[in-house]
Amino acid sequence: MRQLFSFALLSFVSFSSLLSSASAAAADYHEQLVLRPLPLSALLASFNFRSNTSLSEFEAHNFRFFPRSLGQILQHAGTQELHLRFSLGRWDSESWGARPWGGAREGGTGVELWAWLQAATDEEADHKWLTLTNALSGLFCASLNFIDGTRTTRPVMSFQPEGDHPNMTAADTHLLYGVLPHEVVCTENLTPFLKLLPCKGKAGIATLLDGHKLFDASWQSMAIDVKPICPAGAECVLQIELTIDMVLDIDRSKRPRGNPIPRPPPGHELPCNTSKSYHAPDTCFPTDHQANQDWTLSQIFGRTMKGTCPLTDPAVPPVCLHVPDSRSVFHSDGVLEKKNLDRVSRCFEIQPDVDFEIVLPAPEDELAVVVKPETPLLYAERSFTGHGQERGGVQTILHNPSPDTEVEFVYMESLPWFMRIYLHTMSARIQGQTAKDDSLIKEVYYRPAVDRARGTQLEVRMRVPPASTVFLTYDFEKSILRYTEYPPDANRGFDVAAAVITILSPAAYNLRTTSLLCSLPTPDFSMPYNVIIFTSTAIALAFGGMFNILVRRFVAADEGPEVGLAALKKRIQGRVGLLVEKLKKGKTGNVSDESGTKPDKFETVDTAQSIEGALKE
Amino acid sequence: MPRLLSSALALRRDPRILKIPPYLSLLCILVGAVWLFLLPLNEYSRRTYISENALLPGQVHTYFGGSDQNVLRAYKQEVNSLVGKSNVEINDKLESIVRGLGLKTARQNFTYHAAGRTFEGENLYAILQAPRGDATEAIVLVAAWENVKHEVNKNGVPLVLTLARYFKRWSLWSKDIIILLSPDSIAAPQAWVDAYHDAHDSSRVASLPIKSGALQGAIAIDYVQENRFKSVHIVYDGVNGQLPNLDLINSVVNIAGGQMGMGVALQEMWNHNDKYPDRLRTMLRGMLKQGLGLASGPHSSFIPYHVDAVTLQPFGEGWQDEMAMGRVVEGTFRSLNNLLEHLHQSFFFYLLMHRERFVSIGTYLPSAMLVAANFTIMAIFLWMKSGQPEIPAASTTESSDKDDAPTPTTERDLFLPLAIVALSGSLSAIPLYIFNHVPESALTPLFYLFLLINTLFPITLSLTITTLFSPNLQQYHLVKSFSLLLLGMFLSSLATLNFSLAMLIGLLSAPLSFVKPSSSPVSRIVGFVLLNLTSPPAVLLASAAIWGLNVGDILREAAVAWHVTGTYSAVVVWCVWWPAWLAGCVCVLGRPGRDQEEEKKVKKA
Repeated sequence: MRQLFSFALLSFVSFSSLLSSASAAAADYHEQLVLRPLPLSALLASFNFRSNTSLSEFEAHNFRFFPRSLGQILQHAGTQELHLRFSLGRWDSESWGARPWGGAREGGTGVELWAWLQAATDEEADHKWLTLTNALSGLFCASLNFIDGTRTTRPVMSFQPEGDHPNMTAADTHLLYGVLPHEVVCTENLTPFLKLLPCKGKAGIATLLDGHKLFDASWQSMAIDVKPICPAGAECVLQIELTIDMVLDIDRSKRPRGNPIPRPPPGHELPCNTSKSYHAPDTCFPTDHQANQDWTLSQIFGRTMKGTCPLTDPAVPPVCLHVPDSRSVFHSDGVLEKKNLDRVSRCFEIQPDVDFEIVLPAPEDELAVVVKPETPLLYAERSFTGHGQERGGVQTILHNPSPDTEVEFVYMESLPWFMRIYLHTMSARIQGQTAKDDSLIKEVYYRPAVDRARGTQLEVRMRVPPASTVFLTYDFEKSILRYTEYPPDANRGFDVAAAVITILSPAAYNLRTTSLLCSLPTPDFSMPYNVIIFTSTAIALAFGGMFNILVRRFVAADEGPEVGLAALKKRIQGRVGLLVEKLKKGKTGNVSDESGTKPDKFETVDTAQSIEGALKE
Repeated sequence: MPRLLSSALALRRDPRILKIPPYLSLLCILVGAVWLFLLPLNEYSRRTYISENALLPGQVHTYFGGSDQNVLRAYKQEVNSLVGKSNVEINDKLESIVRGLGLKTARQNFTYHAAGRTFEGENLYAILQAPRGDATEAIVLVAAWENVKHEVNKNGVPLVLTLARYFKRWSLWSKDIIILLSPDSIAAPQAWVDAYHDAHDSSRVASLPIKSGALQGAIAIDYVQENRFKSVHIVYDGVNGQLPNLDLINSVVNIAGGQMGMGVALQEMWNHNDKYPDRLRTMLRGMLKQGLGLASGPHSSFIPYHVDAVTLQPFGEGWQDEMAMGRVVEGTFRSLNNLLEHLHQSFFFYLLMHRERFVSIGTYLPSAMLVAANFTIMAIFLWMKSGQPEIPAASTTESSDKDDAPTPTTERDLFLPLAIVALSGSLSAIPLYIFNHVPESALTPLFYLFLLINTLFPITLSLTITTLFSPNLQQYHLVKSFSLLLLGMFLSSLATLNFSLAMLIGLLSAPLSFVKPSSSPVSRIVGFVLLNLTSPPAVLLASAAIWGLNVGDILREAAVAWHVTGTYSAVVVWCVWWPAWLAGCVCVLGRPGRDQEEEKKVKKA
């Protein structure tokens, strides 16, 4: 009943929206899942959710498909365009080929955020940026508030606005870019992400988003992109696009959740290469790396898809699958399979209220299992060179696989301040040549670091000739941090954010290298405590003795007070005598002054003794 | 206080004070040597413990087994069919297997030239990328095709292949796992590790085409034994006496000994009863290996780069099979995988005397320092002595009442002593160069020739010096003082880097503290013969005879170590010990000229 009611409400909302803005109503929201089996029993699942709202309604706080929580933050921080990325793992471009979306919907490991802010001055932009990062930090349960001045850069060449900004001028729009390479992306970031969707995770393709599966993926990236789009002759709309890409290991995903331990299978279930001469019941050369090409949607995601989101644009098929047409695919009832003209993909049209399931049986033809992935425009691999805790170097290997096209790109590094790079050591050379080739680097933008205030920003526009490999290297020095600046896990090392590579020609394509772990000279943190304890002991001993000598008065033995039982007796007698005398005089009411000197002398000695006693305590 | 100072000053002038240092020096040596023998006692050694809590050794279930054994048998068949084939053929086959597991593979060529030999080969390695990792950290699993004794690692290589296949199924790895299949146990891992850290000479060692993150640890498997084994032998000595973090050894001891119930042995002590003699033997073996500074297995090359590594060798007749060994490696890798920070908690300087007993640097260092200090004490003593005139024996008895008269000082003639010490120091480059650069075949004859020259040369040198310069006693004192000062300085700083080497050299050169020129020819000859018995080549010959080794082999190993792994023991022997020995010989053979001039000087004073 409640479901029916909410459905009715939702349809009313969509109906009313139809009335209000007739032009863009059909394209207001759509979602699509693209499944693409990859070589080595991997499966790429790309979830895409896109919704539009007109700028005038956005400014009037009239949110429909646009999430209100995010919209208000954007308005408050004067954000014109926003890109937020949560990524984990690495894309294996040698096996998996080109990245989904041309690399435009992914970030480096950790969290990456860049935005165009409207502000009159740099200080205002910094202030708005602080507001934005802190607000997003709360919204996404991520440590985005740690993007401070040392982690923020203002890229010059690498990023261009994706949306249309007809009123944008360079003076009042600021691009800020921040990255947190050590942030571990986890389920706590997925939940707020799902809440931004119109159907949450209750219907449509979002029902397949399960934290356990998403974070068991070999590579995954969650992206949020907000940008204004101005179609010709129509009102500008603000578009929010939420994208989740993940590469699942089919073998791992098929393991039941209750028994995730990869115990060895029973011997008779092990797929063996029977052509080996030594093949026997107890000897088996395994062939299972070719297996696991058969899977079902519910095996991979742990559940079936619960219908479609009723708000989605019916013209866009919710699920598409990229496998060769020759491969047979079974699907549940109420689903219409449409093969596309390119002969390597097919889409499924699903009734709103049926459970959707597809089954890919083991293929008969070993060759037509997957669509051969596209070759990326560029392969990039970055690593540290050198060893020791004083200096180091960074080497990036850039390989252009194309036989005839030169690749031109911008290579951007945002390094922490404690990596002081020597810019003069930066050089590029082509593999096989020993001398550096100055023609490879076309333009360098370098903004040096300021200790504890700003990181290094390095942008290099360079080219890689066809079918060649270029080594880009530079050296750096490691600074020594202050004792309190080390994190609790100082010996782990410090994460260095991924380098961003933006390809300018022959086509727009983005990629990021893996992040690095830089070990700095780390003090032995138990040592300060040892030193403190040691010096305290030494000072206590020396101070005790010294103080004793200073305050104690040395007198010859015959001059000083007598010690021993006799002396004690004498003293007690003296005291008693004094008391008796006092009592007597008290009766007469007259106190004598002359007894003042001797007790005073005793008192000094006593003070010294009592101080010494206090010290010992 | 002023009285204390004045009495101290008076004490300084007291001629009796100069009698103490030789005895103090002897006491230092004796205490240093005895100290060493006290270490195995319960009172001076400690039980080992896991310092890095993140390691949690032996806390996980290990699942390696079952049908994995069928796979292991198949891989063993494949490996057996490769025995005797060339390095490239072996790598071709192994690469096809590893690639089939879905790992990224690459190869690396290397060539080393040492002792007239060429060590070349091709490393094959594969990277198992952490399923959700980002290539920031890695751990290494090494299986050399041949171990240090040049036996084919017939079980180790299939085991590593099977483990790679098994590890691929797990999704819990936080670090990449690098599988290194090297053709030999010393040069190949060295080339690989050098190239991994870009510390290689690119004309001899190729760069690595693919890399992962910072190496956090390495385990090498040397599993030659065909039948079932009893326990695991941990080899942990690194190049130049560097050691892996004690936590790594403790983890393996904990996993193999505690969880798997197989014993653990160290330093080839196959049966260890944890009594004093066995502890002492284990410690002394460890010290000898540390002192030699040679690579003892594929793990040794990793340690200089601050990558903690050990080699595991199954040994003995027992009932443990390959799967048990695999589970030990699995458990150790799970522990290393837990590491949040690079291993830093526990000890890097220690002497192990039992698998669960060790002494740390604070306890053992004084012994080597005392031995080194004896040279410094003698050097200072001789410097002071050289500044005082030689007072005839008769006059000392009368001079009891001239307390406050200032001690007469004499000018020190520094040129000749400094020249002699500098000459002996610079001559040391000759044996260092020769023994590291002649071909293997020439090493043995050259050694005997050197032994002969080494015996005759001090006599010639001493004769030349006495005839040309006729040095006096003071100059001999200064020669000895400078050479001992250098020796003491080098040994005390070496003691912090390689304790055992400093201790060994210190004890062997201890006689140098007590040699002195004599006027009687008999005592000169006796002194020279005794010194020759402790000369570096004589000690080498003696140790070769004791262990039944060929001198040529020892020298070849030393030359290979010098060129491949960068062992600096040869520098210490030839450039620290030998010059001091030469200077000692010059002193013992010296005939201090009783110059009339000096006697006149004394009379004038």
